Formats: sequence, C-alpha cells, structure tokens
Amino acid sequence: MILGNAEKEFKDFVEKSGIPAAWTILGLSALPTSHELNVGMVGMHGNYGANVLTNSCDLLIAIGMRFDDRITGDLSTYAKQAKVIHIEIDPSEVDKNVKADAPVVGDAKAALKALLPLVKKADHSEWRAEFKKYDDEEYDKITKKDLFHEGNQIKMGEAVALLSDKTKGEAVVVTDVGQHQMITNRYYRFKKQNSMITSGGAGTMGFALPASFGAKVAVPHREVVAVIGDGGFQMTLQELGTIAQSGLPVKIIILNNNFLGMVRQWQQLFFDNRYSFVELQNPDFITIAKGFGIEGHKVSDRSLLSESLDTLLNSDKPYLLEIVCEKEENVFPMVPAGGCVTSIRLE
Amino acid sequence: MLINYTISVFTTNTVGLLNRITIIFTRRRINIECLTVSETERKGVSRFTIVIRSQSREFVEKLVRQIRKITDVLAVFGYLDDEIVFNEIALFKISTPLGCEPLDVKTINLDWNAKVVHWGLEYVVVEKNGTEEEIHEFYSYMKNWEILEYVKSGRVAVGKTEKGLVEFLPEEGNWEIV
Repeated sequence: MILGNAEKEFKDFVEKSGIPAAWTILGLSALPTSHELNVGMVGMHGNYGANVLTNSCDLLIAIGMRFDDRITGDLSTYAKQAKVIHIEIDPSEVDKNVKADAPVVGDAKAALKALLPLVKKADHSEWRAEFKKYDDEEYDKITKKDLFHEGNQIKMGEAVALLSDKTKGEAVVVTDVGQHQMITNRYYRFKKQNSMITSGGAGTMGFALPASFGAKVAVPHREVVAVIGDGGFQMTLQELGTIAQSGLPVKIIILNNNFLGMVRQWQQLFFDNRYSFVELQNPDFITIAKGFGIEGHKVSDRSLLSESLDTLLNSDKPYLLEIVCEKEENVFPMVPAGGCVTSIRLE
Repeated sequence: MLINYTISVFTTNTVGLLNRITIIFTRRRINIECLTVSETERKGVSRFTIVIRSQSREFVEKLVRQIRKITDVLAVFGYLDDEIVFNEIALFKISTPLGCEPLDVKTINLDWNAKVVHWGLEYVVVEKNGTEEEIHEFYSYMKNWEILEYVKSGRVAVGKTEKGLVEFLPEEGNWEIV
C-alpha cells in the first residue's frame, strides 16, 4: 500500500467503514500509530489483540500483503472462520497461501478508491473495543515492563520510545534485522507516512546502515535515524565511510546487547538455553566511527539516555550513538514459529 | 499417486532464460522428467515443453503462476496427458557383431512401427517414435540384444483445442508467421 501511494484512500476507507486496521511491518506508518482504528501489528512479534482476533473476525480484508508465514503462523489454523477479501497487484500471490473469497487483482490505490463509494458508513465500536481488552493485558504484562522497569540497565523499548517522543514520531526510521527491529516496530509511534524502512521478509542483516544513507539522500529535509543491532551493524559498517564522505547528517543508534539477540531468544525459549555462537565480542564502535570521521559516544547509564539522544538529534553532522542495553532481553508477544496465531505467548 | 503434468512455456528467444525458468523447479525440488525447447511458428517466440510428475494439481497450478511472473515469458499452460497430443522419439544403437542373433527387422517394422535408420559394420541404429509407454515397451523388446546406446528426446505436445498460439500472446507484439 505504501508503494502504491494509497495511504489517503486507505484512511478514508477505514474511517468510513469503521473497520479496525492492523499492519504488517512493511505496512507500518501507512496509518498513523495513534489513529483510533489502528489496532497494531500482526505477525510473530505483533500485538496480542491483532493476532488473536484474526481468528475471531467475520471478514478479513488484506491489502497488498502476501500472507507470509511470519504473519500466519500455521496456515491450517489461520482465519479459517473469516471471509477473505484479498486486494493484491500480483495475481500469483492471490490464493497462494490463503484462499480468497473475493480476490481483487489490481493496484491498491485504484481498488480502494473504487471501493470507497460502495462501502456503507458504519461504526464497529463494540468490535473495536474487544481489541482494547487484549491491549490492556499486553500493556500490563509486557509494555509496562519494557518501558518502565526499575533496574539499572537500559532496555531497548524505552530507548525507542524516548526516541519516538523526541522526534515527535516524525522521523524516518530505518531498522536492521532482529530484536531491535521488532522493538522499534512496537514502540516507535509513527505520525507521518512513508517513515519506516526495513528489509521485511528478506530479513537481511546489514541493511540499515546503507539504507539509512539512501533514505537521507531521498529526503534530506527529514530526520533519518537508523536503529541497528550490534550484530547487523558489523555486517556493513564500512558504509560509515560513504556517510562520512557525503557529510549527510544520518543519525545512527546501535542498540548493543552484545548478542545476536533474536537467535539467543530462540535458543533460550526453544532450545533449553543452549546458547551457541550468539554471544558477540564487539569492537569499540565509537573508535571505529571516529576512525571514519564520524562523531559519536556511548551511553550505558539510564539517567544519561535522554541527554544522549538530544546530542544525537541536535547534531548537524552524522552521529553514532551506542546505547548499551540489557544483555538478555526478550521480545514479546511472540507467536512460536509455525504455531497458531491464538497461541501467542506473552512471556 | 504421481501423474504427469506437461507445462508449455512460450517465451521470447532470450539467452539465459532457461536458467530462470528451471530455477523455479529447482527451488521447489521438483525433478524435471524431460524438457524440449524450440522455435514456434511465430517469429521470435520459443516454446519450452517440460514434463514433471506430481501428486498435487494445486501444487502444479502454483508453479505455473510463478513461471508466468518471469519477464520474457509470454504465456504458460499446464496440461494433463489427456488434454494434449504428444509424442517422443528414441534412438537405439544395437551391437550386431558377426555371428550374433540377427535383428528381426520385419517385427521391428510391422509390429513395433520402428525402423532401422543406420547400418554400421558391427552395429545398427533403430529409431522409434511414440509415447513414453510405447517406447518403454519397445525398449523391453530391444533388451534381447545388446543395447550400446539409448537416447530419448523430450516431449513435444500441442493442446487439444482449436485455438492457435497467437490468441494467448500479448496483444502489443508483432507475431508474424515465420
């Protein structure tokens, strides 16, 4: 939908029909995070309500999505009770994973524009309220802990949430791949369209650094912040050279937990904590950046986090902020791979 | 139960296209039983005829849709054996040294509808065309002699409909008869 520039038509459609809308990570920022009908992310690390209620809805309208296995989990238990409308430009994706009762092959913008007059103005606030129950539980069990914990270590979620506040939800955020990517999707509250750049289903580590440079070249007037993990950063860190050479003020945040976090999480949850080749002995990122001619500093003290982000955002040159995070943090909710979307775990 | 599916792919005559098509099969770990490529009656249009064996029609339908997405592919069709007219050709090089059991050329010609196409000094080459089954039966008969070499072509097939190829090609092209 973002590629098809259909955000406006989508917003009109959602507001007229009153149907709650959820997004996949590549659909993030198409609808403002704070929009009343935005019920969050679906998928493996999506929101509790959005995932569970997929298996309770009467009608599922899928726009520009391919029903990737991260979204559906076990296909034999995915939305079997719902009628499915699939608006999709690629005919080979229709009926590939999920049988569509009403396939609409075509451009999202044109399709939504044509559908808008045909849809009745409706209010589904009771259905919308069902999501609230799950949202509240998710907040209690997960969000509160991620954002307002008591310990000394910085958690990834609070760093992202603070970034979101300071950039007023208007920055272009580029993520790499892993836990930080999921955390950023959860806690950065997007206000503007076309603000989330990520490799999506490709899952390519090392994507963020060069991509953030590309994004800054494309929209130099917008703040571009790359959020990268310590693993992915090391895969393309030579691009610091390209950034330094251009002088474009790309802002880089490394959420350093000294681990290949996502893999470690799986090893903890599904393989009895048998950590294998996931702990990283990292170099001194700030010295490396300085070697390329890029300013930066490291923060590990929670009390200095806010000030550090200010330094990062106020710089008019490229800047690298290394945030040392809690080593063994897990991202929840999580739908176990190949599991049913309703068996989403909260811890 | 594995059944034959014949996939006809119409393409422009581009170098390297075979790789792009066969990788769709490789990715799904499907064995290509046989493959034929040649030009068609339309200028610049080539045709691939690929035979696979599969248990699931749905699987083959998805495969066909993925092939359709490739640039330079103009049209793709999947067929079951009863939806096409098809044939294959095979050559048998048989050893005929002095003093061996002679080949019964009359049986080969009349009963099996095959023919001897080459006589060497100590070998003979026999050609048979027919369906895979017919060739297989003939092979069992020829095993009575020493088979030095055996080669079978891929399948050539046309659909059992009154439509011509040009009706399925994109309208914008110049599809003149060669």
